[in-house]
This record gives sequence, C-alpha cells and structure tokens, in this order.
Amino acid sequence: MVENNIVDGEILDEATLTLEEFAHACAVERQWVKERVESGMLGDGTHYVSQWRFTSYDLIRARRLRQMEYDFDAVPELAALVADLFEEIERLKGRLRAAGLPFH
Amino acid sequence: MEFKDYYQILGIDRATAIPDIKKAYRKLARKYHPDISKEPDAALRMQEINEAKAVLTDPEKRAAYDQLGEHYRAGQEFRPPPDWDAGFEFSGRNYEDVDLGEFSDFFTDLFSHVGRRSSRSHHHMRGLDRHAKVFIDLRDAYDGATRAVTLHAPQTDPQGNVYLQQHNLQVRIPKGITEGQHIRLVGQGHPGAGGGESGDLYLEIHFTPNPDYRVEGKDVFATLLVAPWEAALGTSLTMPTPSGHVQLKVPKGSQSGRKLRLKGRGIPSSEPGDLYFVLNVVLPPANTEKARQLYESMARDIPFNPRQKR
Repeated sequence: MVENNIVDGEILDEATLTLEEFAHACAVERQWVKERVESGMLGDGTHYVSQWRFTSYDLIRARRLRQMEYDFDAVPELAALVADLFEEIERLKGRLRAAGLPFH
Repeated sequence: MEFKDYYQILGIDRATAIPDIKKAYRKLARKYHPDISKEPDAALRMQEINEAKAVLTDPEKRAAYDQLGEHYRAGQEFRPPPDWDAGFEFSGRNYEDVDLGEFSDFFTDLFSHVGRRSSRSHHHMRGLDRHAKVFIDLRDAYDGATRAVTLHAPQTDPQGNVYLQQHNLQVRIPKGITEGQHIRLVGQGHPGAGGGESGDLYLEIHFTPNPDYRVEGKDVFATLLVAPWEAALGTSLTMPTPSGHVQLKVPKGSQSGRKLRLKGRGIPSSEPGDLYFVLNVVLPPANTEKARQLYESMARDIPFNPRQKR
C-alpha cells in the first residue's frame, strides 16, 4: 500500500528532546544516557536532571557512542574517545573543504 | 526475497563459537564502518554484517536460523515458511534493542514478529523510533521544500502474519534547517505493540555538495574571484546568492582571503546566518606581448616586494 501525504515535522533544536524522548530515539535505556551525561561524554555538562534537554548534535553523538559500544564491545570511555576523534576529523575536513583541498 | 547466508557474510563456518564470531564481526565492522570506510558499498555491507552478528551471537536466533538455513543457499529465492520458528523460545530482548529500520527485509521478515510475540505481556509498548538521512539542496534550506521519503515498516495482519509495508512520505523540509539538524516526525516510526503509540521518525539533514557554496552552521561561504585591478582599485559587482542577486562592493586595497559579509543573507531563521564572499585575486596570464609589457611596467614602476615584512 502506498500512502501519499505531506507530513510536517518539527526541527530539533527549536524543540529539544527530553531524557525519555532522547533515550527512546537512541534505542537505549535512560540510565545509559544518564551515565554518559554524568561522566561528561554527552551533553553540555549540565548535571541537573530537570534541565536535561538534548539537541541534534547530542543525537548524532549518542547514536555514534551506542554504535561503537555495541559493534565493538567498546567501553564507554573508548567509544567517547572515538566519537571525539570523528568530530575532530569532521572539523578538519570542513577546514580542508574551506581551503578547496581534497580530503580523500 | 533472497536467502542470506549469515555465516558466509561474516566469513566463518557453522561451528564457529560466539567469541570468534564477534572477532570476525569486529574485523569486518572496522573495514566497513560507514564513518571511516571508503568502500562504495560500505553502508550495505555494514547492514549485512550487523544483522549477521545480531542473529549468530544470539543462541536462540542462531538455532532457529540454522534449522531454517539447512536447505537454503545464499542468494536462493526464499520465503519463510509459516511458523518456521515454532519450538524455539525467544527471550524477546533482542528485537527491542536494535533499530529494525537498519536491517534488511530478510531479517525483518524472519525476526520482526519474534519480539512482538514474546512481548505480549508488555501492554501499550511504544514503537521504535526510526532514523533516516535526507539530502537536500542548500536552496531548500533558504526556501523550504518537500521531499519524498520511502520507508519499509513491518506490519501484522489480523492473522498475525508479518508483512512489509512500503510507506511513502512527502515531508515538508522547513525553511531555515541546517546540516546535521534533525526533523522529528511524530508517530511515523515503527508501530507500537498492544495498542501502544507508534515511534517517531528522525530525519537527519545533509546538504548535497555544492560547488559554489559551503556551509558552516547557518553561515554560508562563497568564493569571489576578482582581477588584481578590481581588488586594488575597488569595484562594484552584481553577484548571485541563494536568496537572489545582490550588489556587492569590493573595497579598494582588498587582498585574497578578505571576507565580505552580507549580514543576514545566510540560512534564514529567527537569527539568520550571514553570507560571506571570500576574495580570491586571480592573475591574468602574461601570454601576450601587451600583458607581458604591462607586468614589466609594474615590476619597474611599483616598488613592491611581497616577501618583505611590513
């Protein structure tokens, strides 16, 4: 069956995710998120649970952390280190692109 | 649907123990991980090895798959027989903790109902969220657009049989979206169980590479090529931008690398980004007698040494 309708969505960051929504979006338990926020691997360093709101950037990072942990049985700290390196590579690729230089 | 030989995908034999399966998996995951792999089919291969691992490292799923797979070879046309997994006890855990949207139809057909069946006691369980990447043009971020997204979601008919439903969504891309942002479509994820709500669909936005512009957050950068006399003497130019043509003043005495900022001409939002033209001075070639004479005249008459520290 094919459905055709125009669906409106909301831009994340204009409406950020709560802890529960965020955990569900990453297919992890809330505790998994809490542990990584409290240890500084995720989020903006705010430790007040009532203030936890997650953005697009957090979602990309958390899914990457989860993938590293699940795919390679990586301990969370190692997954975070790999995520840091990926982000650094992306930043450097952006600079190369800005300078008109190839990166492959 | 073709039968998938998960052992062949991981390059192992049927007697391989779980620790060695994980080892084989990690070796391939490193090669095909989409974040680092340069293989053209990396995403597809990663999906295959992920689902091979999901089945073969779960003793229950593996036992059921082994019995089913005895009579099939990779690539052979395949339809799962009804109740193919009868007699196997599934813990039901593994369905919930994977994102089914990232697995093949083969896997989904075989295992999607497993979690459903075993989780009958979970009333009103919300469906899984789904994730997809959508590529849009930079201009779509300025003007907004509608993009078609095709999803395949397992559905259960009244008899309890699972089938894959193709779902075409026309999604409105709101004006002002930037790279890496997500659009959340509430209720467009996987259906819930026991009357539970459907999950949400998250679309991760990427811009298709554009030869004329690069984007950093909401700011947009373009290169403006100018002749030496335009940079030295200043000029006024009409330039195209994603939001229409603009009149641009190049101040006299400009050098390569100078940025001309058009405030608020970046990606629109309540706080719009800026558009930057980065000057690049291009020298005319000295390939005619006249051009050569002019360069010689400049060399003689203009006291200038670019290597001299100011």
